[in-house]
Amino acid sequence: MTATSATYGGVRRSPLREFGSSVVTIMVKELRSRMRGRRAFIVLTVYLAILALITYGVYAIIAPAARGGGFGGGIGTGQANASALIGQSIFTTLSIFQLILVCFIAPAFTSGQISMEREKQTLDLLISTPMRPGAIVIGKLAAALAFVVLMIVAAIPISAIVLMYGGASVDDIVRQQLVLLATALALGALGLFFSALLKRTQTATVLTYISLLALTLGTTMIFIFWSVVMNQNDANPGFGRQDRAPEQLMYLNPGVAMLDVVANTEPGGFGAISSVLAQLRGEEFNFGGGMQCNGNVCVPVDQFGNVVEAGAAGSGYWWPRISLTFVGLAVLLTLASMRLVVPAGMRWAFRRPRRGVVSPTPGVTVDTAAEGTPTIEEVRSEPPPAEEPER
Amino acid sequence: MMTPTPVVETRGLVKRYGDHLALAGIDLRVGPGEIYGLVGPNGAGKTTTMKILATLLAPTAGEAYVTGIPVDADPIEVRRRIGYMPDFYGVYDDLKVWEYLDFFARCYAVPANRRVTMIGELLSIVGLEDKRSDYVEALSRGMRQRLCLAHTLVHDPALLILDEPASGLDPRARVEMREILRELRRMGKTVLVSSHILPELAEMCTGVAIIDRGRLLRSGSIHEIEQSLRATALLRIEILGDETARTAAADWLRTDSRVGDVLEAAADPGGIIRLEVAFDGDTDAQADVLRTMIEAGHRVVGFSQATSDLEEIFLKVTGQTDEEAAA
Repeated sequence: MTATSATYGGVRRSPLREFGSSVVTIMVKELRSRMRGRRAFIVLTVYLAILALITYGVYAIIAPAARGGGFGGGIGTGQANASALIGQSIFTTLSIFQLILVCFIAPAFTSGQISMEREKQTLDLLISTPMRPGAIVIGKLAAALAFVVLMIVAAIPISAIVLMYGGASVDDIVRQQLVLLATALALGALGLFFSALLKRTQTATVLTYISLLALTLGTTMIFIFWSVVMNQNDANPGFGRQDRAPEQLMYLNPGVAMLDVVANTEPGGFGAISSVLAQLRGEEFNFGGGMQCNGNVCVPVDQFGNVVEAGAAGSGYWWPRISLTFVGLAVLLTLASMRLVVPAGMRWAFRRPRRGVVSPTPGVTVDTAAEGTPTIEEVRSEPPPAEEPER
Repeated sequence: MMTPTPVVETRGLVKRYGDHLALAGIDLRVGPGEIYGLVGPNGAGKTTTMKILATLLAPTAGEAYVTGIPVDADPIEVRRRIGYMPDFYGVYDDLKVWEYLDFFARCYAVPANRRVTMIGELLSIVGLEDKRSDYVEALSRGMRQRLCLAHTLVHDPALLILDEPASGLDPRARVEMREILRELRRMGKTVLVSSHILPELAEMCTGVAIIDRGRLLRSGSIHEIEQSLRATALLRIEILGDETARTAAADWLRTDSRVGDVLEAAADPGGIIRLEVAFDGDTDAQADVLRTMIEAGHRVVGFSQATSDLEEIFLKVTGQTDEEAAA
């Protein structure tokens, strides 16, 4: 039987390459319609303009204060640290603001991608091509993320301004980028999941943002209430090691990841943000403490003036865990979307194809079908390319 | 006689949606190069049949093969061999016409070096050459329909499945669509096309299956269907002569066991008598009658089968089931 090796239309390639080219196909189509016209460039320009304005604003507020001329006699610890303080403030603000923007933008790009195809009745045409649903889903996610990634990467030069002032290093910027990308990936996949799950784009978008709220504010509030409930019978509230909700709850919170990145730039690796993060991990309260300086050497202390090991509460604990959780979440959501993109009645079509099922028509025509095979060739209007050996 | 592998073959195809029986055992057989029409009223099961063949629905029971490949065993392989145009579909209106076709060509893994020329060829087949760089959005309904038809051809499929390609089109666009189907026929494509209007398909189809309520009522060429429907065909026979010739001819005809009623019309001034004869037999038998009639000395100048409107036939077929259902 030559029926399997007869190539209709396209050239038969290895399944992996076929999958890859399907992904590219979807990406090319999505980007063609997305990047066309001025809209994409206006969005990008506005995004960068907002970030630039924020940077300038932070500089304008912090710089006089840091140099000691401003309110309260200066928040900096002296002229030498002023520059670092400016850099650190800019980095903190930019990081948090970018995270917020990414949280809003990434799901917006994906939450209509599949439901829109359903609404416009284009999904059937897409599904009836030999492309695997996985390739369709990944292509759509990649196309949406391509633009978000462009926005994130385009903002690097603005973040890099802090390198001029000090206070944040290249490492910090790399971490900031990794957290932003992981967040974009997870939230993009979340939007796509709801888009594949639901018929209407409107409901998909609403549910995506509700989930976003649950991941950020929701996890934080549950964590706080949970911890409060656990500590109800504490004899000495506020003292000693506190019971707390499982910290894994916060692995879903992109805000914590970014705070963790930012905490690393706090002077001496220990400050207000670090202290909050330390609490999340069940470290002791440290609001009463702060820094105790002896000449040039500053060490973090708790509220009783005891020296706290900087390493124990330093940053770098949360962001890798949260980023990894996000990548894992994105994988799970994408896999779920792959199943959902195919209508329930059609899942059968994507079971692993049995090899060598091509058989002559059984039954009445079984004796003639073997000679009949060449008719498949006749129907073709062009000669088949050289047959690839079947694996 | 060698039977080629049919491009489409279904055996006892059944599709059940809950309690509703959409297909109650459909047997189809479409050979290579045929333009095969599926005709039936709305809800007859045409779309269901086509969706099963397009691997968008799994049959509840029965078998379906496209070029000999079972649709439920290797759907991806089947998809490479078919071009499917659904009855309701949308287009990506933010793409240009050539980009739309390019996208689907990529979906079917058509190599880049073939895509450009192929898009040009397809656009000329469907008559959209001058719309190449227009946005799909700007196309009229008829043009979109033709564009969708072009997209089914990007991978040079063995079989085209067109679900109501002419629905919702104005008469002019219908004619254009019919022209394109003729062109496809000349190209040797096998086409399975559906319509709820029989005459629309009649002139271009090599075969027709009439479906109603999930049942296959008749299948075959239009002519065969007509034959089978008219168990008694109506023959119009014109004879040169006067009253006596008429009576003689009528009496002669009545001696034939296959002849039922003979209606004698009055002779007209030109000396031509018209007889309407209910005749139970196929064209072979009709030829026999004509030959023996002439041999018997009747001066036959006209001998034809009265063709009734296809719409009538269609209503007759689908109407029969009403009676059957009532019985």
